[in-house]
Amino acid sequence: MTVSRREWLRTVLQGIGIGAAVGPGFPSIATAQGTEAGQGTGPLTVRVTRPFDAETPVREFASWLTPNERFFTRSHFGPPSAETVQPDVWRLTVKGLVKEELTLSLKDLQQLEAVTLTAVLQCSGNGRAHHRPKVPGVQWERGAVGNAQWTGVRLHDVLQRAGVKSQGVHVQFQGADRPALATVPLFTRSIPLAKAFHPDTLLAYEMNGRPLPLLHGAPLRVITPGWMAESCMKWLTEITVRTDETPGYYMQQAYRIPETAVRLSSGLPGSAMVPVEQMPVKSLIAAPAEGDTVRIGPVTIQGVAWAGEAPVVKVEVSCDNGKTWEQARLLGESQPYAWRQWQYLWKARQVGPTAILCRATDAQGAQQPEKSPWNPGGFLWNGWDRLSVTVAA
Amino acid sequence: MEWVGSPVCDGGGMSKSMTHKTSGFVLAAWLCTLLGWVVMTAAQEDDRGTIQPAQARQALTLIHARCAVCHTTDLIVQQRLPADRWTVTVEKMMHWGADLSKDEAAVVLQFVTARYHSGAPDHLPSIEEELALTAPAWGPSTASDGPLVGVSERGAEIFARNCQACHGEGAMGGAGPKLARNKILKNEGVFWETVLHGRGPMPAWGAVLSHQEISDIHAWLATR
Repeated sequence: MTVSRREWLRTVLQGIGIGAAVGPGFPSIATAQGTEAGQGTGPLTVRVTRPFDAETPVREFASWLTPNERFFTRSHFGPPSAETVQPDVWRLTVKGLVKEELTLSLKDLQQLEAVTLTAVLQCSGNGRAHHRPKVPGVQWERGAVGNAQWTGVRLHDVLQRAGVKSQGVHVQFQGADRPALATVPLFTRSIPLAKAFHPDTLLAYEMNGRPLPLLHGAPLRVITPGWMAESCMKWLTEITVRTDETPGYYMQQAYRIPETAVRLSSGLPGSAMVPVEQMPVKSLIAAPAEGDTVRIGPVTIQGVAWAGEAPVVKVEVSCDNGKTWEQARLLGESQPYAWRQWQYLWKARQVGPTAILCRATDAQGAQQPEKSPWNPGGFLWNGWDRLSVTVAA
Repeated sequence: MEWVGSPVCDGGGMSKSMTHKTSGFVLAAWLCTLLGWVVMTAAQEDDRGTIQPAQARQALTLIHARCAVCHTTDLIVQQRLPADRWTVTVEKMMHWGADLSKDEAAVVLQFVTARYHSGAPDHLPSIEEELALTAPAWGPSTASDGPLVGVSERGAEIFARNCQACHGEGAMGGAGPKLARNKILKNEGVFWETVLHGRGPMPAWGAVLSHQEISDIHAWLATR
């Protein structure tokens, strides 16, 4: 089983050309050891083999940018065939409530002004495994998130070229990925025009200075900075301007949360469900790692913190299971949409097991709660990050 | 009832001591039954429902063949859900085209509800590991009276249901290799070995597809 799972992965990854996307000189996922589920020793922790859903082990978050080959990956149907997204075949169409329909090649798009920004990309289900009662879906733990530099063109510039009619209020995205069965609904999403027109909303063709890898949406994906990743359509082929929110399962049923506070297992009668949009404030501990033994004396605790469209202003750390909290030092400069690295020097005095916790606060005053409110989809987990370590003499 | 090979069967008549031994054996057997019942009951409580081995095997086979058309079974094994959410999930999958009859869906639902409930252990074996453990020595229909003749028209449909998710529409390849005009079709020994017992990432289909169905697939692939 061990061997076959690894071989399977190798086949899958070779099949989708990740070796080529990663390029020489970089360790490719395909050849790295320990890519199996739950092991956490390789670059990615695989949750689902097909479609390939895998998260980044949190120790990778000691670096500011998350490398492409270590970036979490998630899709509903897996990538489309490499041929359909070749530059000479691939086209983007812009249609619906526009004055002029457009069909654009990648070269056409690259004639527009290029914009680069660094933004956190996070799966809405990141941390789903922490919700109680448990919720169906991929059981993501901490690593379905990453921070990358995205280069592309403004969605606004493309829409402006097509000319949005006054009735146009929502912008719909469709990617080239297709389900195995035609009876499964397509993954189609829309965002409100205001977010689509925001100058930081991009159609990205580069990730961390390299062409977008196939697993991450080659040749073009949407980046809605500050918003959860289901708005960041991969393998983008169609943009449709419409009057209403996209109908269908992935917009009207999936990726929605109760507008009001949720009673546990209530089934939410009467509670309006709204689309998941902004990321709530959240922080993670990248080091030490869960289960580590640390020496008595100074211990550096480090991690990252981010929030949706507001900057993080404070990160606190507790080394006594939440009894007392100390403020961590925020590193570098604050950049909109990117995560902020932080560090705390802990003077470990007492031998034995303890829990290390962290929590962040954003500029709007929102603070990471001990536990996130339960919701039926298990979305937006942002409870305090927590790990167990042992202090040794 | 005879206890073949038991020490009491010495070929002679029933002596006093033998009668004593026999009643001891009856007691032991009764105790074993009682212990078995206790263990089984405990196991059932742990599993929150009864799954007979034959039923478990049927459920595992269905999950392996039908659910894995769209997603690998690791997605199922990692869930820990109450019965109502399993019910909704199986219904949703049926609605989306999971190829299960009502009865088959009930078997799958009973199995996942019993095995992957909220209180189940964190780590459980994969569907494929469980299938390997419960695999019979032969597939669903091995015996045939004469040479099998594959029917290409049937093969197209069987391929679409079972193989297409990996080998692509028209057998043109996907996550798995392209099978149209693949040289394996000319080497029937390797073809059958691979389909029946699996190879590398390809799971074994011997417990899922009948030999006639495999012949049908082969016949259809030969026309591609």
